[in-house]
Amino acid sequence: MSLQPIRSPRELGPIDYYTSGHRTCAGCGPAIGYRLATKAAGPKTVLLGPTGCMYVANGHQFLTSPYAVPWFHTQLGGGGAAGIGTAAAFRALISKGKRRREEVNVLVYGGDGGFADIGYAGLSMAMSYDYQRLLYILYDNESYANTGIQASSTTPWGATTTFTPAGRVKRIGNERMKKNVALTIAAHPGVRYVATSSLYPPLDLANKVRKALNSGGPAFIQVLTPCPKGWFFDPKYTVTLSRLAVETGAWALWEYEEGVFKLTYKPTRRRPLGDYMRMQGRFTHLSDEDIERLDRMAEEQWKLWLEADERRRLILPWAPPPTPL
Amino acid sequence: MSAAAAKPVQRLAPKTRIWTGTRAIAEAVKIADVDVIAAYPIRPYTGVMNELARMISEGEFSAEIIVADSEHSQFEIAKHASAVGARAFVGSSGVGLLYAAEAITVTALAQLPVVALAGCRALDDPGNFGMEWNDTLVFRDFGWLVSWARDAQEALDMTLVAYRVSEDRRVLLPHFVAVDGATITHIASPVAPPDERIDGFLPPYKPPYPLDPDYGPVTKAQHIAPSLIGTEQRKVVDVSAKRSREVIEEAWRDFGRRTERSYPPFVEATYMDDAELAIVTMGAYTKDAVYVAGKLRGRGERVGVVRLRYWRPYPARELRELLEDVRGIAVLDFSYSFGSPDSGGAFYNELRAALYEASIRPLILDFLFAGGREPNVTHFEKAVEVTRRAVERGRPERLVYWPTLRGEDI
Repeated sequence: MSLQPIRSPRELGPIDYYTSGHRTCAGCGPAIGYRLATKAAGPKTVLLGPTGCMYVANGHQFLTSPYAVPWFHTQLGGGGAAGIGTAAAFRALISKGKRRREEVNVLVYGGDGGFADIGYAGLSMAMSYDYQRLLYILYDNESYANTGIQASSTTPWGATTTFTPAGRVKRIGNERMKKNVALTIAAHPGVRYVATSSLYPPLDLANKVRKALNSGGPAFIQVLTPCPKGWFFDPKYTVTLSRLAVETGAWALWEYEEGVFKLTYKPTRRRPLGDYMRMQGRFTHLSDEDIERLDRMAEEQWKLWLEADERRRLILPWAPPPTPL
Repeated sequence: MSAAAAKPVQRLAPKTRIWTGTRAIAEAVKIADVDVIAAYPIRPYTGVMNELARMISEGEFSAEIIVADSEHSQFEIAKHASAVGARAFVGSSGVGLLYAAEAITVTALAQLPVVALAGCRALDDPGNFGMEWNDTLVFRDFGWLVSWARDAQEALDMTLVAYRVSEDRRVLLPHFVAVDGATITHIASPVAPPDERIDGFLPPYKPPYPLDPDYGPVTKAQHIAPSLIGTEQRKVVDVSAKRSREVIEEAWRDFGRRTERSYPPFVEATYMDDAELAIVTMGAYTKDAVYVAGKLRGRGERVGVVRLRYWRPYPARELRELLEDVRGIAVLDFSYSFGSPDSGGAFYNELRAALYEASIRPLILDFLFAGGREPNVTHFEKAVEVTRRAVERGRPERLVYWPTLRGEDI
């Protein structure tokens, strides 16, 4: 049975499959994403959790579980393989008559450490197979937040983290540019569905999860999920920051469906990047000039995204690394 | 009595094939009707995956075979397939096993009955196709059961028994079938695959809590507070490993009834009834050890051979019973453990630990074949002679010898 697109949050129904019983931070973006993604996937789903915030913070001293569907841990670098092993087991058991015929969703919910760094090869391996209803969601909070905010390869340029602290000599903090994992996944031949998402607009993630599961092959969604602990902002602004990320062009929302590219959110006028960055403590050490330069970069990249959208073809939005002053 | 009933049933002699060890193990995987296989190449175990891929491609049996991106992924794939309720097969050699170490460890601690072939090979650096046991012995502590075959036939048989033991609800632990690289993986020898009497030896695999929405929600391997159930969870694995002993005995008894090949479950003893000196070892070189013992018996020396068939669970009880009465033991050891007690191999020191509780402790010498250089029967003969002289003198000159070393054994 294919999952239908929704036009109102009410269509997702009252039941949660990621519910109480965890101990994530107030305003945790990845937890909101988990709740929306699992609601969209529904009860016939197996969840797999690579190590990360959504493993450790979802465990609880008192052994309560937030999962109302089957869930199993996988190692930090094991997300890709865990999804393939689970999907292969269902296919083998069903085709050999050892289990009743029925579609089961396999959803691997891993962080940027798990999918952009240590488990990147495994994710790539998984995307080269043809298992259906197998979805990898990268909840991107732009750091190893669970271990105390260390930089990952999706941490943006200029963010201060415990491994890349801004200091008197190293003024910028993180000097690597954010890896766009979704673009690299789109480069896998035959891949049916790749998307980026965030917690805003409200229906974006749920609908992309459903499209991904219906796509007929393994699918990937990179979801920008603001992290109050690692980005240093008031927990009440998690969704506001998601909105600002997409409205400033810091995070472009798009989908790539069977070779056709489309921006799924186009602000009428791109807001200045400073609106997004100045709300976060991790960028406070940057000068107005730095932010100005980053804004010009975002403008150049945004033109490329719009061009890609117009042509319905993927263009790799390249930008030179900003040189620190 | 009816004519039909009186008609004698003719039992055909089992058809013998000439198979390498990896080919023989692939046959066991087929007989076990394994559902998910995860492959990644490294010598010398790779042959089993080549065979399985060919069998599946030719339609000899049906399974999902995944070509993984690394050994870590390989073992994660097998672990997760097993959690759903699929029978899984995997394997590796040498540094490949160590690359997968994290996934291998959690497979046991999450109690998933995956069966893996370990084709033993020397570890890097430098790269070396020679045979050492360290790649497998390092996994001694986590709950994996480890059996050690002496030839291709036993490797096939052990693979089937491994699934039966691992999937038993009293055990639920993964299982390495270890074979010596080259001498078993690559050497073809006569193998008799089991006939139809093997049907029913392996009941369908049913995990107690499958990761399948049909069985309701289950949260498995959640992060825990150490003070709450950490200790009890480890005790569960400990008890499973202990209980595996009775399950292994049962399985080999049943296997013997169905194949007319009977094996002692844990330890194979040759010429041990009146032995004064014993050679203790595992794997393919046991045949050479038995040849040497036979030759020495021809000269009137009372030498026997003891072969461990299982490294985990460790057959301490059987070894104590067999070795309490001997005066000296020559350990043929293909493992090392630099800086260990008396600089002995891992295999040697484990045996010493087991015999510490023996009522009379024999003298135990380690003959350590490190680095993959092949020993021959003269090395083994010499080992017995050195042990005999040490026994006669009443004390050993030294405890550890490197017989294949060129130059001074410092």
